[in-house]
Amino acid sequence: MKRLLALVGVVLALTFLITGCGGNNEEAQGGGKASGDVRVIMEEVPDTDIVQDMLGEFNKQYPDINVQIEALPYDQMRDKIVSSFMAPDPTYDLIIVDNPWMYDFASSDFLEPLDERIDAAGNDYNYEDFAAPVRQIAEVDGHIYGVPFYNYGLGLIYRQDLFEQAGLKPPTTLDELQSAAQQLQQPGTAGIAMQPQRGYKVFEEWGNWLFAAGGQIQNQNGQIVLDSPEAREALKMYIATYECCAPPNSLNWSFDPALRSVSSGNSAMMISYNWMLPTLNDPDGPAGDLAGKFGLAEVPGGKAVLGAWYWSIPANSANKEAAWTFVQWLTSPQQDIERVSMGGAPVRNSVMENKKVWEQGFGESYYKTVQAILRDSAPLADGPHAEEMIQVVGTELNAAVAGQQSVDQAITRAANQAEEVKKGKE
Amino acid sequence: MLPLLLVLGAIVAYPLGYSLWLSLRDYEILQSTDVSFVGLEQYTQLFSDRDYLAAMRNTFVFVAVAVSLELVIGLALALTLRRQRFVRNLTRSLLLTPMFVTPIAVGLMFRFLLDDQLGVIPQLLDKVGVSIPFFNTQLALFSLALIDVWQWTPFMLLLLLAGLESLPEQPFEAARVDGASAWMTFTRVTLPLLRPIIVVAVLIRSLDALKVFEYVFAITQGGPGTATETIQFHVYRTGFQFYRLSEAAAMAWTLMIVVMAIIVVLFWQFTKGQE
Repeated sequence: MKRLLALVGVVLALTFLITGCGGNNEEAQGGGKASGDVRVIMEEVPDTDIVQDMLGEFNKQYPDINVQIEALPYDQMRDKIVSSFMAPDPTYDLIIVDNPWMYDFASSDFLEPLDERIDAAGNDYNYEDFAAPVRQIAEVDGHIYGVPFYNYGLGLIYRQDLFEQAGLKPPTTLDELQSAAQQLQQPGTAGIAMQPQRGYKVFEEWGNWLFAAGGQIQNQNGQIVLDSPEAREALKMYIATYECCAPPNSLNWSFDPALRSVSSGNSAMMISYNWMLPTLNDPDGPAGDLAGKFGLAEVPGGKAVLGAWYWSIPANSANKEAAWTFVQWLTSPQQDIERVSMGGAPVRNSVMENKKVWEQGFGESYYKTVQAILRDSAPLADGPHAEEMIQVVGTELNAAVAGQQSVDQAITRAANQAEEVKKGKE
Repeated sequence: MLPLLLVLGAIVAYPLGYSLWLSLRDYEILQSTDVSFVGLEQYTQLFSDRDYLAAMRNTFVFVAVAVSLELVIGLALALTLRRQRFVRNLTRSLLLTPMFVTPIAVGLMFRFLLDDQLGVIPQLLDKVGVSIPFFNTQLALFSLALIDVWQWTPFMLLLLLAGLESLPEQPFEAARVDGASAWMTFTRVTLPLLRPIIVVAVLIRSLDALKVFEYVFAITQGGPGTATETIQFHVYRTGFQFYRLSEAAAMAWTLMIVVMAIIVVLFWQFTKGQE
């Protein structure tokens, strides 16, 4: 009996010890030069590697700030970030925020407003230089909660050689897209690799069809205007293109299968992130022999679905000064030129017009196209519960593509559920 | 007794109790300051929630298909193995291995095995001229059930084989003496004697299959549409993707009630068998 009690006591004590050891961090020195540890969470993507490579340069100027980057796969990030927000001792002092999360995080007071810090950074920082659609996502209720890090706006990536052979130009309307896909459809090669996977992917891809058909997801007041004839037209055309010209059995395709299809020559084009172009044209990249044959154009209709990541400081960050020092340095025009020259995805207009970036990066025409893409672009959701809204709409869209329901039913249900989500189910 | 109760209390009772308390409120992580007590509203809402009902339906279909197949295949294997003379232990060990692979790994494994672009199985089928879309709307749930069958038939096999080997010899001798055919022996002697074991095996396996999550998460994420959205996955989505914890807690508790009902039946059958 005594031994049992002792054992239980040890177990309980160990439990308390382990949970009690939260993150330990030096408090930032108030006033004076920022110093100490900055624990950052980022995604496991090439843009993160580029930031890692710039840390050496950063430390030359700020040797007292120790930036520790933890890179995780996307799926794990949100949970860890939210846990850090709610923990008594934060795990992270600086985070990157995906655009659907921005409104919810900001309105729950999880993020520090950055207005004053941006003002104090002065004219050299040039906040207006960030592409307007991108920076506006991080402006919630009149305050700025994030500084743009990199964009993932969509573009049309196509095989220039196949287009030339068929005498085609990049399509500017949905009809042109359909006919181009049909013309390029050969036995063994699909016209277009599509990504109708339930949830975020199908909505992200179909959003471009919606914009091209003249439709909108939300109006200026944030109300859901998805239930429209344009949306039905867009979904009809999306399904028509899928049924004629997408690779067989691609109903659940997301980013990776579509990329594999295009890079192995099994599809002639795809709608994907604009920075996939340099990756595909890289001789050491996934496309192998096909490297160099790809081109980037704006999506048909010219208005693209926009996604972006932002630097934000958690309200409970243990070292806000040092975190902001790092962000200000990294996102300043001069350093952003360096970052984009190393292959990072751009967010600043001055950077996209910079000759050094053209030379050391991926060429003038690429950056000009990206600038055009960003100029007229919109995110999928802006406002509360964006993540859930995207998921419910994406579920209905995928069900329509799968033939489980009609276009009418899908649009009606998607719009209704999106409205319910926005209102907040009680 | 007391230390065990304390540990059980901390690890089991407290989270269960908190979950029940959560389900009586309207807690959402991203609006954690605006919480109120709503009584049984979360539960009553579920009866008109299309997605919840679809998830329950999908789960029950999955359980029915998977467990029936496991029973039939497990029984067939058990009957065959019982008469095996050579390499008995090695065969049995090999047949039991799927059970010991962690389910998420099995899910990922089959995701790539059945992948249209990369998978071995579609390649082999292609050589025979057959193209099966494993994860389209009609077949997705069935494909997941087959993966469950691959992993858990060994469990059925284990239980049924143990049951078969514990059966008394006399009824079989009597049947042989009376000149009964193999089929008659099977249906009139084996099955009735084996019935308690079968019931227990089916109930235990059903309880486990109700919790199916890993295969859905690894392969289909509930799609296409809502074809493979099982209740456990739906709870996960509602609670941890949409952050509506109270609703998720209520859903989890309805599943808990179903599970408890099955356990009651299980114990009743078990004690009946002991008489």
